[in-house]
Amino acid sequence: MLNFLKILATPEFFFSIIRISAPILFATLAAIVVEKAGFANIGLEGLMMFSALSGSLVSYYAGSWFWGFLAALATGVLMSLLMGFFAFKLKTDIILVGIAVNMMGSGGTLFLCKVITNLTEGKAMASTTGLITKSLCIPDITIPLVNKIPFLGAVLSGHNLLTYLAFLFVLLTSIMLYKTSLGLNIRAVGENANAASSVGVSVLRIKYIAMAFSGLMSGFGGAFMSMAYAQGWSQDMVSGRGFIALAAQAMGGGECLGGMLSALVFGFAQALGIKFSAVGLDSNLASPIPYAVTIIGLVVFAVVRNNRIKKQHSAAALAKSAEK
Amino acid sequence: MTKRRQMRFTIIRSLVAILIALLVATILIFISAAGATFQDKLEATREALKQMLAGPLFRFSKKSGTAFEAKRLADILAAMIPTIFTGLSVCVMFSANQFNLGAEGGIMLGAFITAMAAIYMPLFAGLHPLVAVLLGGAVVAVVMLLPALLKTKLNVSEMVCSLMLNYIIMYVIKFLMNTYLADKSRGQIMSYAFRETANIPPIINNSVFSGAKLTWGFVIAILAVILCGLFMYRSRWGYAIRMIGINQDFAKYSGMKVGGVIVLSQLLGGFLAGAGGGIEMLGRYTNFSWSALPGYGWTGITIAILAGNNPYMVPLAAFFMAYLSKGCDLMATYAKVPAQLIDIVQGVIFLFFAAEQFLSGYRQKLVVKSAQEEIEMAKAQKEGI
Repeated sequence: MLNFLKILATPEFFFSIIRISAPILFATLAAIVVEKAGFANIGLEGLMMFSALSGSLVSYYAGSWFWGFLAALATGVLMSLLMGFFAFKLKTDIILVGIAVNMMGSGGTLFLCKVITNLTEGKAMASTTGLITKSLCIPDITIPLVNKIPFLGAVLSGHNLLTYLAFLFVLLTSIMLYKTSLGLNIRAVGENANAASSVGVSVLRIKYIAMAFSGLMSGFGGAFMSMAYAQGWSQDMVSGRGFIALAAQAMGGGECLGGMLSALVFGFAQALGIKFSAVGLDSNLASPIPYAVTIIGLVVFAVVRNNRIKKQHSAAALAKSAEK
Repeated sequence: MTKRRQMRFTIIRSLVAILIALLVATILIFISAAGATFQDKLEATREALKQMLAGPLFRFSKKSGTAFEAKRLADILAAMIPTIFTGLSVCVMFSANQFNLGAEGGIMLGAFITAMAAIYMPLFAGLHPLVAVLLGGAVVAVVMLLPALLKTKLNVSEMVCSLMLNYIIMYVIKFLMNTYLADKSRGQIMSYAFRETANIPPIINNSVFSGAKLTWGFVIAILAVILCGLFMYRSRWGYAIRMIGINQDFAKYSGMKVGGVIVLSQLLGGFLAGAGGGIEMLGRYTNFSWSALPGYGWTGITIAILAGNNPYMVPLAAFFMAYLSKGCDLMATYAKVPAQLIDIVQGVIFLFFAAEQFLSGYRQKLVVKSAQEEIEMAKAQKEGI
């Protein structure tokens, strides 16, 4: 046990927590903003799959990670706008739109991958991992000076460009939501769409913007998956991160900082699972840890929230009776 | 709007949605088709489409021409068995407006539990499959209590919870198989063989039925459809489930026990998914070797959407999906178009079926026409007096 704790207390372990949290964090921010606008986008998983594929393919054909990265972002945004069209214009239940995108994201990406690359190695499996080299991935960044600090330097420096962006976006999204008029409008639409509309806010436009933002974040997340986390795209590589992000959004109370902490908790759970299997635990027992932590986290959060609401109610009732 | 017009609108709308999906499929096939010139590609696309649309029923060969193939039809009917069950499961759960997506994990767990019961429980034929399948269904129903109770007691999203459960179920089953239950004498990870008494036999013992594994499971599935339909449309509980789905607050204020009914709908959904997995297992396989989620749960969601959450329409929707899936498989074999095209086609059809406002202009026209006719009739009656 002590030995195991020693393994955990290494900078590599903390480094891996941050690395694993990054894609979940992107998706969590996406979930937070659409939730603020009053709806849920459960298609994050599928959006990330499509973005991951397009990023990987375009970087290969263009020969540069930058174009692939842009393609991943564009894919996320365009697809989310299409989702918005179905949800807002054709009045499809937004949950069902999400399910449809996830369905296509699983098998449809494999179809596109096979068709575009003409790779049909094996019967079911195809991936772009064979095409992608290190130079086609988004680069890692060593922060000067910081990397000289003992322990902390090894934890914080040397991450992927996108990992830093993920944490930067926590700040930016928070500022966007609370310090800009756009953020005010998004929150107003989510709080009460009719009231927002009555003071001249275009509800539809705000909803599309929130949707596009979630697509952009999914684009970042997808690009991270296929161009930083792994070298190249493979089937079902997002493996539930889009869903975990929905839980992280709920656990974080719908706020950016809380969402970030929740994403880190999931990152921790997954990093722990990887370490567990490294010391001999069956990987089939280690793999479900993040998913189980998600359910437990949701329950704990719900209990805490309900207690708080109860306390508030009883406090309010006491105050009322005292007045009398 | 008159009932006949309503029906006509539904049919036309469905056909247009399917046509759009096929159009998308055609474009994708054309892009992926082999051939150097435009003409070649067109020819290859035509060939692929022929396989996809007519292949499930007919065999094309240069020598003997086009011939009806009973085996392929039997294949399609057999493929409907698990998806009818997941379709019903999703129907019941979605009717209460509960987006529980656990049918996917549920069918795997049901198949696993039934398989274990088929291996380790000594019982006599006839009773054995019944007990094994009921056990599989019951276990999944109990597991579905988790998302259902968390939703009603703590307001935890049943969707996220059930999705997480799918992954957990898959990994735990894999763990149990690898560590304890696998037959170590085999090259692959698979369980010991089921006892012969647990087998669900083909309806007719000839080459077509037993080759396609068209078992009594199909009859049970149709029975389940009827029972489910009676439950949803002819029972107090079914009515409560549908009312809660339409307007939860209204149901609450009219005195329904909303929490209890929501739990009931997911218990029933879990049972259906689990039993479906069990029946599929005992009918099609001789040992348990699933190492990943089978995908029937997602197909079940599509089927429920196509059927408009109406159990009686589930077999039709399941037939359509099975037909399409068989067509895509054949296309992959004969025309070298990846079979995963089915996922895109499925997604597109799904989207257009779920889109409430799709063709709303046409519906508006029909409504106006009906109203005008009614006014005319009323006028004529008045004048008649």
